[in-house]
Amino acid sequence: MSLKPASREVAIVAAGVISPLGRGLAETHAALRAGRDCVSPITRFDVSKCRSSTAGQIPNEWLDAFATTRRRKRLHRASKMMIAAMDELVQQDRDFAPELMVIGTTSGGMTFGEAFYRSLLHSDNKRKRAAWLANYNPQKPVLDAMEAAGFSAPAQIIANACASGTNAIGHAFSLVASGKYERVLCGGYDAISELVFVGFDSLQAATQEKIRPFDKARTGLVLGEGAALIALEAFDEAVSRGANILAKVTGYGISTDNYHLTQPHPSGIGPRQAMERALASAGRKASDVDYINAHGTATQFNDATEGAAIEQLFSERRTPVSSTKSMMGHALGAAGAIEAVISLLALQRQFLPPNINFNECDPAWELDVVANESCDAEMRCVISNSFGFGGTNATIVLEK
Amino acid sequence: MSVRIQGMGWVTPLGTGLDEVWERLMNGERAEPREIASADSTHKHFYIPVPPKSVESLARNPRLRRSSAISYFAAAAGLAALENAGIRMTPELAERTAVVFAISSGGVIYTRKFYEQIVKQGANAASPLLFPETVYNAPASHLAALLGVTGMSYTLVGDQSVGIAALKCVEQLLETSDIDRCVVIGAEEVDWVLCEAYREWRLVSPARCIEIGSNRGTLLAEGAGALVLAREGRIGIPRIHDGVAFLNRREAAKAMTRIHQELPGDVDAIICCANGTFIDAAERAAIEATRPKSCRLAAKPQLGEALGASALMQTILGAIGLEKHNANAALISVLGFNQQAGGLIVAR
Repeated sequence: MSLKPASREVAIVAAGVISPLGRGLAETHAALRAGRDCVSPITRFDVSKCRSSTAGQIPNEWLDAFATTRRRKRLHRASKMMIAAMDELVQQDRDFAPELMVIGTTSGGMTFGEAFYRSLLHSDNKRKRAAWLANYNPQKPVLDAMEAAGFSAPAQIIANACASGTNAIGHAFSLVASGKYERVLCGGYDAISELVFVGFDSLQAATQEKIRPFDKARTGLVLGEGAALIALEAFDEAVSRGANILAKVTGYGISTDNYHLTQPHPSGIGPRQAMERALASAGRKASDVDYINAHGTATQFNDATEGAAIEQLFSERRTPVSSTKSMMGHALGAAGAIEAVISLLALQRQFLPPNINFNECDPAWELDVVANESCDAEMRCVISNSFGFGGTNATIVLEK
Repeated sequence: MSVRIQGMGWVTPLGTGLDEVWERLMNGERAEPREIASADSTHKHFYIPVPPKSVESLARNPRLRRSSAISYFAAAAGLAALENAGIRMTPELAERTAVVFAISSGGVIYTRKFYEQIVKQGANAASPLLFPETVYNAPASHLAALLGVTGMSYTLVGDQSVGIAALKCVEQLLETSDIDRCVVIGAEEVDWVLCEAYREWRLVSPARCIEIGSNRGTLLAEGAGALVLAREGRIGIPRIHDGVAFLNRREAAKAMTRIHQELPGDVDAIICCANGTFIDAAERAAIEATRPKSCRLAAKPQLGEALGASALMQTILGAIGLEKHNANAALISVLGFNQQAGGLIVAR
């Protein structure tokens, strides 16, 4: 299974992001450069009965800045995140009119669903229920972002668990590369919720300590949240209208690992196939890759399989690897989109984002982990990995 | 590129056989609603269930032993569609097969149970067995595992229009990759909390039936529809609309009309999405404006509103209708509650 050869190049002409690392590309870049730890104690719900108690969270005041009308104030945090990312993207390229949106998410406005359920149990807050439900569905933040930007486009909303954001960008890339569409807006979003937090806690996948991807002493993941959007356009079209070309998406690989609903095959075949297919799609060899933004959740299972796959595939050159989740946690359906933007920044600004909280590499593999501090590096080609429940694996290739 | 239907399968409240359900629909039969309630709410609701015996053959499958009803419906429909296509899956075929799912509410039963445990017993009592099944792509994962698919698997979410979006996605995958076929499935299950939510929206009927045009509300239903799509097959889908997004009900009516206008050509029938809500008037206006004399088939009063599964069920109905009546083309008309209008043409 592979993508047909691209009939044309695909440019990134604008991007927008909000995450615990910061509001927008500039703040995100500064946080990455500084190796800032943006994980903090959970404040939004009770975690006294959970093993873990921290997450990467976006401060409310950041989002309130985008809730400029009475109607927007009632929106879910996820909608406000999408509006924030869209606002930054539109400011970069006001002429970008997407024909299609492809957006990844895992849980939509889940906290409003939780509030609705609690209001049924306690027979309270009856007046708020309709507004909660109206803003609960996964399509609502996408519609809200469109409305804020002043356009309307059909949407495909992909819910492939933690690979959703990368799947969305990869699918959008394939549509533009094949000539089916000229302009597609893609990305992902997710906001932290109690249900999902407790879910990972119940699986003992979440850590009580610092998140330490690829470390010998890693003990699990920390959740995060955020939204990121990327505007893709046929390269020649973008050039002809004078758009600012930030970088190119050149490849996409997808694989499904049927080993277990929540655990990857120990051999690492799923991640390996996704990376191999992405490189083949881009017409690149592993030795062409200058940096790998890993999925790197810091769970025993993920890092073991991803580490093994990276070692197998990139042994020739020992390509630098980091998991930026170490700084902001795992933003689930948004992770792939945020990490694509991080990869874009790395390419544009020529630096390797760090993998913080790192002490000693797991001796199971020999990886060149970008330990604790960012550093300058010449880069032309990077890949970004995302893997999820259900055995979904996705990789995209970005180039200067 | 026109995608074509190689096989079809479904799990509906009126049965699982293509001919069986068609005949029952043509005879005017309506699936029997069931009352659903919870001690946590004072309301009682009616919904239309799938009889458990419809999927009991899958109950011993080890992959599905902990899964929710939605995965059973999806797996049963998907396997039936492959059988209908005459495809016996092998590793070689699976390698070149994709899976695409259309979901609106997803695993709502386990999601409600899991959160109920958190709220009533505390987070430390929440079962790790339930959580993975709450994820939207759990049914897709189970089906991919049953079929041995190792390549593309996508789960799309949205309102009732998500089935059309999924079919559009399949068309795109067939055009942009070297896969040979795709199994596309829409599936839903019903829980009392889902009925509560749609009641709050004033979209479900307090009565035991759906009356088109009444605007009294619909009845939520369970089920799944599945198609095996490829570049060759017995029925074509020559045009799948990208969809028209809307922000409110006034725009929804305009979006529906645009879909009907932009799907060209004469059709022998329109397979309607009318379900007893505001959708009925919007769809009627679109039809009156574009094809006022067309033959119309609306099956939701008989099968219920199966949300993410409904557009695929409509497409199957259209395809069966073409085969049964030696007709040339049908328009599948879909308007969701709160996202998009969509549509497609099925043709011989």
